[in-house]
Amino acid sequence: MTTLFINEEEVTVSSGTSILEACRKQGVDVPYFCYHPELSVAANCRMCLVEVEGWAKPAASCCTPVGEGMRVTTQSEGLSKDREMIMEYLLIHHPLDCPVCDQGGACKLQDYTEEHGAEHGRYKELKRAVVDHNLGPFVSTCMTRCIHCTRCVRFADEIAGTGDMGVLNRADHMRIEGVVEDALASELSGNLADICPVGALLDKPSLDVSRPWEVKRHKSTCTQCPQGCDIVIESRGDEVIRIKPDHAANEPWICDRGRYVHDAFRADERILTPFIRASGLQAVSWDMAVEKTVSLLKGKRVGIVFSPDWSIEGLTAIRLLHDCVFDDAKVAFDLHRRDMRPFAFEEGFGMTPKQIVDANEVVILGSDLRQRLPILMQGLRQRSLAGKPVTRIGAMNYRTNSELSADALIRPREWPAVIARAMQQLKDLGKTAEGMDAWLSSVSERHEAGKLLADALLSDSCALLVGEEIRSHVDAAALIHGLDLIARASGHGEEGRDARNLIPEGMNASLLSAVFGDVRTSVGDLFDAAHDGELDALLLIGSDPLGDGLFSMQAKRAMGKVPLVQIGAVSGQVSEYADVMLPASAYSEVEGTFINMSGEVRMAEEPLSTVGDARPLWKVMMRLIQGFGMEIPAVDMNEIRASVQSYLPSLREVWAEGVDHTWRMPVARQRDANVLPVGVNPAMPLDVISRYSMYREGAWVRASASLIEAGNIRALDDVLVHPNTLKEAGLTVGECVIRTASGNYTFDVGVRDDVVEGVLFIAKRGVAGDLSCEVMASLGGGQ
Amino acid sequence: MSSEENVCFSPSRLQEIDVLVKKYPGKRSALLPVLHMAQKDFGYLSMPVQQLVADTLGLRLMVVREVVTFYTMFREKPCGTYLLEVCTNAGCMLNGGNELLAHMTESLGIQVGETTPDGMFTVTEVECAGACAGAPVVQINNAYHEKVDAAYIDAFITKVKGDQL
Amino acid sequence: MISSDPKQVKAICFDRIHIENQTSLNIARKNGAYAFLPTVLKDFDNERIVDEVKKSGLRGRGGAGFPTGLKWSFVPRNTGKPTYLLCNADEGEPGTFKDRDIMRFDPHLLIEGMIMAGFALGVHDAYIYIRGEFLHEANVMDAAIEEAYAANLLGENILGSNFSMNLTVHRGAGAYICGEETALIESLEGRPGRPRFKPPFPAIEGFYRCPTVVNNVETLATIPAILEFGGDWHAAIGVPNNTGMKIFSVSGHVNKPGNYEVPMGTSLKVLIEEYCGGLQHGTVPKVIIPGGSSTPWLVAEHYDTPLTYDAMMKAGSMLGSGAIIVMDETADVIALTRRLAHFYAHESCGQCSPCREGTGWLERVMTRVENGQGCEEDLTVLHDAATHMAGRTICALADGAAAPILSLLKHFPDEVRERLMEKAA
Ligand SMILES: Cc1cc2nc3c(=O)[nH]c(=O)nc-3n(C[C@H](O)[C@H](O)[C@H](O)COP(=O)(O)O)c2cc1C
Ligand code: SF4
Ligand code: FES
Repeated sequence: MTTLFINEEEVTVSSGTSILEACRKQGVDVPYFCYHPELSVAANCRMCLVEVEGWAKPAASCCTPVGEGMRVTTQSEGLSKDREMIMEYLLIHHPLDCPVCDQGGACKLQDYTEEHGAEHGRYKELKRAVVDHNLGPFVSTCMTRCIHCTRCVRFADEIAGTGDMGVLNRADHMRIEGVVEDALASELSGNLADICPVGALLDKPSLDVSRPWEVKRHKSTCTQCPQGCDIVIESRGDEVIRIKPDHAANEPWICDRGRYVHDAFRADERILTPFIRASGLQAVSWDMAVEKTVSLLKGKRVGIVFSPDWSIEGLTAIRLLHDCVFDDAKVAFDLHRRDMRPFAFEEGFGMTPKQIVDANEVVILGSDLRQRLPILMQGLRQRSLAGKPVTRIGAMNYRTNSELSADALIRPREWPAVIARAMQQLKDLGKTAEGMDAWLSSVSERHEAGKLLADALLSDSCALLVGEEIRSHVDAAALIHGLDLIARASGHGEEGRDARNLIPEGMNASLLSAVFGDVRTSVGDLFDAAHDGELDALLLIGSDPLGDGLFSMQAKRAMGKVPLVQIGAVSGQVSEYADVMLPASAYSEVEGTFINMSGEVRMAEEPLSTVGDARPLWKVMMRLIQGFGMEIPAVDMNEIRASVQSYLPSLREVWAEGVDHTWRMPVARQRDANVLPVGVNPAMPLDVISRYSMYREGAWVRASASLIEAGNIRALDDVLVHPNTLKEAGLTVGECVIRTASGNYTFDVGVRDDVVEGVLFIAKRGVAGDLSCEVMASLGGGQ
Repeated sequence: MSSEENVCFSPSRLQEIDVLVKKYPGKRSALLPVLHMAQKDFGYLSMPVQQLVADTLGLRLMVVREVVTFYTMFREKPCGTYLLEVCTNAGCMLNGGNELLAHMTESLGIQVGETTPDGMFTVTEVECAGACAGAPVVQINNAYHEKVDAAYIDAFITKVKGDQL
Repeated sequence: MISSDPKQVKAICFDRIHIENQTSLNIARKNGAYAFLPTVLKDFDNERIVDEVKKSGLRGRGGAGFPTGLKWSFVPRNTGKPTYLLCNADEGEPGTFKDRDIMRFDPHLLIEGMIMAGFALGVHDAYIYIRGEFLHEANVMDAAIEEAYAANLLGENILGSNFSMNLTVHRGAGAYICGEETALIESLEGRPGRPRFKPPFPAIEGFYRCPTVVNNVETLATIPAILEFGGDWHAAIGVPNNTGMKIFSVSGHVNKPGNYEVPMGTSLKVLIEEYCGGLQHGTVPKVIIPGGSSTPWLVAEHYDTPLTYDAMMKAGSMLGSGAIIVMDETADVIALTRRLAHFYAHESCGQCSPCREGTGWLERVMTRVENGQGCEEDLTVLHDAATHMAGRTICALADGAAAPILSLLKHFPDEVRERLMEKAA
């Protein structure tokens, strides 16, 4: 620790802290441009000058470490003159266009000019001319306003890891440029507009829409992926202008998906009023729509499919509807799971993101983590920059923005052999767990990739990130059980040291297990039941099985057969089948509670007002219960929360005492079942994998014009294989026939050499979406 | 000289680069020397050449771009067969550097920074060459010529033009 | 041969540069090169070498004048990381041309100095960062190094000792700023030469974040003599705190411009009149820039100043790299200032706002003033813009850019005002 004096006040900070950080900690204002707490220090703006007693010249406080007994002054006549001059230097080439600049009103340059600048500039010479760049759909540039602080360049290098921003030339010809002319390669690019202290990099979708002083800020939670980042929604009136990370929270960044989805809140796809199908869809009153719903569903065998991303109050209200009205209805919500045996549901993380980033070893198992959880991947990137290993086992060299210390490509059918190999190694070292022998003897093969897994588990702290390739495996439960066994055998199984982090489909995983554990079923089975006449009607609540997940074909078949009631905020393709549509509020429009993948509670407290006639989901549920003639179990938020607490009593204290970021819901672990791999029947040579795309997955995303545009820029071919796989089949790139158990399809097949041989990748929501339900296939020639 | 498409280093160059890279703790250090080589081989550093250098050293294109644009000796545009670089900094200025430069541009009929239409001569102004005792200094294709006067330059120009014929 | 009697010292760095073919190893060896090296490798150790260099009072010849022995003593030992020695041969400061002569005429002296410095610091890889324009000099150095490798003066187990060192010549590509030691390191790492802020200092975290010593060519070329004849011997040359010989590169309006190696403390006037053949016009210089274009100007009244770090400081300037630019009464100081302003505006690395914007601003205002289109307010602008960049940036380039402007305003305000009036009339 070091003790120094800032403006005569004694301050103690840890040694090595910069003077600027010491000042910030102390609440002493020092102006700066280039400093950013999350980026490396550049010390180039020279705005942060302070005086240190005994030093001949003022010091840049951002890059000067504190010294014992140092006496720092942050205000003096000399410093005022210096700051005035620095402002004058910075402004000589800066346009005087604050009135038309989006940053105006939230601009460091403008603020400091007011505070530190001279009355008027004295520069009379020519101003520099600068060209703008096209940096893709999210970031717009006005480079004449650039003050060369290099925050964006450091962001691209250090955080995004794409290095696609750079500094060209030198002296006052120096300019910032993006090398990618049509798009920044990062899924975090939207943060660029946030970190630019002036109006050079601006948010493109919200360009020229509003001025900072017009907007209202609402704290909320992003439900676009299980990470559940804290966000601030900026709105003018009811209109969302921007979504930004909540800087008071844990994570300084949010991804482009969570940030730019907001145009969907106002998209044509929003369901604004209740509709019923007469000849075509007709807007009707709530009463009429409820009446119609009751007539369609009353006394029927109903299948309910819902999205996991509603607030936990809304989700519990679904359970209340189930209990009050459809006591024996089948309920499903996981569009990516084929295997419904126990173990498969133990979703959620045993570790916090911080614990994962800090662990000795991290192994990514079958996940395109950069697409799936970009913010967690960013943490892993910082970790590998610090020299810590990140290992990955999976079917493709999914692009990451970080170095992998080891990488093994395997086919889905090889997962049991991989886990068995790891188990064998642990067993040979005398590390066992109950049930291991039975599991091990059920798998005859061993795959060398398992060594990476076992080696990681032998370390003191280890995080396994179990991804979509395993979740959607036909043997998912057995694989997860196998992972549980090796985690336990190596001492990583117990609470607090639980290495197994199963990436859930969406938010609220731990609540879903608790509330729906006893009634859930497989989405595929549910749709098949409807198709086979075992169900009379379907109720879809926010779920879009046509656009997402593995079962679009079954869903289509089922919905073509039985009546459909759709409740949700966005319509989508499903609506073509809906007989009734009931509007529910968007996540930006509700007060509610969410639980993220690591069991942390997030609150949305200051909702925007709802568009149209939509209502929060829990109210829709209560309205339906009433419509069915039952007594309403909850009339207000408190009563709904009381119901939630009957499933999860520990939430009581959270609601009573407010959200504390240290509180976590423990992951449920059940240990009494023994689930063994059934093995894949290798009837066909190729394994099929549906690839996750952050710009295409999710009903909200598909309603967002800007994310669709981004998705088009980053689009992959619809079907991808390794070149050798194509060659072995005697085929060339282009139209091929894909033979599956359910029939033959013709698609354009592309090649990439970073996928494992023997796998067929389906880029979802492309024309090949219907293939997603397949597990195996073979390739034939085009017609 | 560079044809825009399909630029590549000769096998002996690649070998030379291999040896060079090993002299440094990190291969990025070889960037300046390799750019010098590339400029020698291809005349100037077009985008395909910069991409080639990036690929050869396993660097991002932006890294190469930053370096190419920072250093004045790296050229992104072709120049004449004879690059005449006149120093006009203090020492040379005090001993007739400006006048020499003016004489050269005038007699060649071009502006500073331009190339004669026949592609033979490019004249540029440079900063202190570090040879002020020999002021004024002209570098001709990177060779120093000291105490240069108008007559010397005229003779040089006449000579190389004659060689061309 | 160097005599141990200071009065008879003719030269240290330049002692053998006039010998024909001194670049060839054979001839250099015949004239004493590497003769003392075996003794150093056998009988000296790190501590003794650093002590001798400390005792010698040698101060860095690159510009800052920092005591070399002290700099070496900052290098931490046994960090588990390699230590690097970088020779600064960027020689970009306008007016400086001394290192070039050492390298093109006596490359083995520099190599020998670097071997000894490398031995003292436990260096395994050393580099000479030479400005890109010095192609001939780089080729000479390369050839000399090749010969030195062949003679086992470089490489593994030098002359049978336990000490191994590689030496590589690395060419810059046209950027004055790469002479600044941290910019040099950045450049040697394959990046634009943008100086790093300090701390950390290169001695602790330099090249590839490892302990690094950066020394000027002349500094390193002085080391063999110091070790052979002893620190005390060197300390006895010159005046206290400003010891040894120093090469002065004299240019401008003198009759015999060139490099002159004289004992520190020699007077400016003696150097110009006795060595350089006096001024081209008149008898008293109008302006003397004593240490390269980045140092404040001296005028007639300082003509007698002794050439030492301390005396120059007292006279309001700096000894810098020893590049003396002399202007006689015919000089247009406004045009010169404009030209230097252009230099700094061209050479600023661009990272610090005051330097990036200030240097361009100064150049543009000076251009107007030179053309007689200035006004009284420009004087204040020039003064403010120059004052507030000096000392407020990462490196000292901004100070250097301010120096000519502030010197002009200080010494020749009337001449500037006259120029303003010219067009007004
Ligand atoms: C803008 C600037 C340019 C410099 N140029 C050179 C140079 O060309 N050669 C040099 O030896 N030192 C130069 N220096 C000084 C170096 O930073 C450094 O002090 C020197 O190389 C240390 O070596 P020495 O201790 O042997 O003098 C420059 C410094 C600055 C601020
Ligand atoms: S003072 Fe100028 S040259 Fe030095 S680091 Fe700053 S911008 Fe670069
Ligand atoms: S914040 Fe310190 S120099 Fe920019």
